[in-house]
Amino acid sequence: MNQFIITIGRQLGSGGLRIANLLAQHYGITAYDRKVIEMAAQESGLSAEFFENADEKKWHGFFHAIFSNRAAANALGSNENYLSNDALFKIQSDTIRDLAERESCIFVGRCADYILRDHPCHINLFFTADLADRVARIAEEKGISEEKAAEFIEKTDRRRADYYNYYSGKTWGAAESYDLCINTSHLGIEGTVEILKKYIELRVKN
Amino acid sequence: MSEKKIPSELGTQPVGKLLKQYALPSIIAMLASSLYNIVDSIFIGHGVDALALSGLAVTFPLMNISTAFGAMVGMGSSTLISVKLGQKDYGTAQSILGNAVVMNILMGVIFAAISLIFLDPILYFFGASEATISYARDYMVIILLGNVITHMYFGFNALLRAMGHPKMAMKATIATVLINTVLDPLLIFETIDLGFVEFSGAGWGIRGAAIATVAAQCISLVWQVRVMSDKRELLHFRRGIYKLKSYIVREVLTIGLPPCLMNLASCFVVIFINRGLTSYGGDYAVGAYGIVHKMTFIFVMIVMGFQQAMQPIAGYNYGAKAYDRVTKVLKITIALATGVTTLAFVVGEFFPEYVARIFTSDAKMIEMAMVGMRYNCLLFPIVGFQMVTGSFFQSIAQPGKAIFLSLSRQLLFLVPFIIIFPHFWGINGVWISLPASDFVSAIITTVLLTNYFRKHKM
Repeated sequence: MNQFIITIGRQLGSGGLRIANLLAQHYGITAYDRKVIEMAAQESGLSAEFFENADEKKWHGFFHAIFSNRAAANALGSNENYLSNDALFKIQSDTIRDLAERESCIFVGRCADYILRDHPCHINLFFTADLADRVARIAEEKGISEEKAAEFIEKTDRRRADYYNYYSGKTWGAAESYDLCINTSHLGIEGTVEILKKYIELRVKN
Repeated sequence: MSEKKIPSELGTQPVGKLLKQYALPSIIAMLASSLYNIVDSIFIGHGVDALALSGLAVTFPLMNISTAFGAMVGMGSSTLISVKLGQKDYGTAQSILGNAVVMNILMGVIFAAISLIFLDPILYFFGASEATISYARDYMVIILLGNVITHMYFGFNALLRAMGHPKMAMKATIATVLINTVLDPLLIFETIDLGFVEFSGAGWGIRGAAIATVAAQCISLVWQVRVMSDKRELLHFRRGIYKLKSYIVREVLTIGLPPCLMNLASCFVVIFINRGLTSYGGDYAVGAYGIVHKMTFIFVMIVMGFQQAMQPIAGYNYGAKAYDRVTKVLKITIALATGVTTLAFVVGEFFPEYVARIFTSDAKMIEMAMVGMRYNCLLFPIVGFQMVTGSFFQSIAQPGKAIFLSLSRQLLFLVPFIIIFPHFWGINGVWISLPASDFVSAIITTVLLTNYFRKHKM
């Protein structure tokens, strides 16, 4: 098979990460999730915790904006802050680009679809699932109540959307931002993976 | 391989050497932009009269508000453009450039229109009186008519920097200051006597100063537009980039709003100070404050130059957990900044008359400026420490503390002091508010910094 890149956007609890891992296993390639952070930290010499803090976060709300890192940098008149979210995003995206040049691999989140938009063989996926399924999955994974899970899902997805929309200029979760969007509730994780294998093989061949 | 953004020297070279290397360009940039504000005052003070200085001083908050709105678009668009350039997304970056032009024009026109309609009430509110309003009005009408040019000029400078041309942005700044300095006397004075040759100027007084300011910006703007129209530039003006896109407008305004609010907050304080001085000390006191403010501004700008140099060094090393290097660069910067503000203290306490004479020859205003300067600079030796520590927290990604410290010196304590103190000490109460606010905020700074060192024990 030729070299290819799969990027995955996902609603929290849609099973995107599991799908990524199953696909990675099938093709014998690596699925990069938070691992990107550690690699970016290592390459830049900065501690991973700063990347963690900036991870898939932009800001929301007025007061948060005033007290956000970027805001302070601007307000007090300086852009050259290597710990600003923008600077960290740049470092992280360099890491993603380097990996994508070297090998076939899968990236989950982190705007990788935008970062790799010019890659010749780039398959851009997005997963959703019915809210009930997502809530059930997260409640079980984290061992929390369904109410808490629903709240957590809403917050996380809003953060992901803000982050994605800011850096990519596209709309998170909108069909036009991706090649293929699938609701995993209907075929389940395994069924979705089966469909995807077909799709990926057709794409990579051409 | 994509190029790496962080220069590796930040983690390896001696911090003192790094600081020296980073500080010089930022200090020059800061000084150039502060001179810009000062030149007009000097020529107006000598070419018109002392009250014209007071008239000029009451216009500063309005000019700063205009700058704040301009900076909203300028900061927002340049930040967004650097993000896009970092991703080699030239199409979007190009659109941001076009959108920034349109937004600058809209913002400039709307702000100028509203301010012109309500100009007199605004100036009275900012501390003008019957005696000073005509100066303030004459100056401000022209400045507002040129408001779009001003917004474009500052906005394009920010964009030039973001496009990777900091030197060109610097050239534009210096050129504007120089052109303004040459035009000012030609347009303000009736006759110009250079000692060996004498010739007549336009004699437009304070209006001449405003025209010189706008004309200088206009000339630099033409040059900027030429640079940015060059098709060899990665980003340049071309058709089809001017249609406003909701994504760009929204993000530019979101990024630009916080700095805009910080600027507005500092204008708000100047309005308070001006009003306090007018009601307790009259028009001359406002003019005197203008002089005091300009004198300290130069020193403050040098300190800010050091701050900007410290930030990447402290930030990177903090991120790399090289805390000893962080402490070292902080200590050196505090020492340098303290040196600068101590110099301001010496000048303000022992040579205030010389400073005042640069701006005016009016005996009454000189005397008031001397009093003001002595009060204002009283605790200046600790101001360097306060300012540097604030920006230090910013560079180590603790913006909340940074903004709190910045506001604590310029707003949180200053405003209540200005309201309360004059009840007891009259005009001196207004002056005392300044060092009192420095004092309280220095204490808070000490607490926060001690806390930091406790957490990062060496």
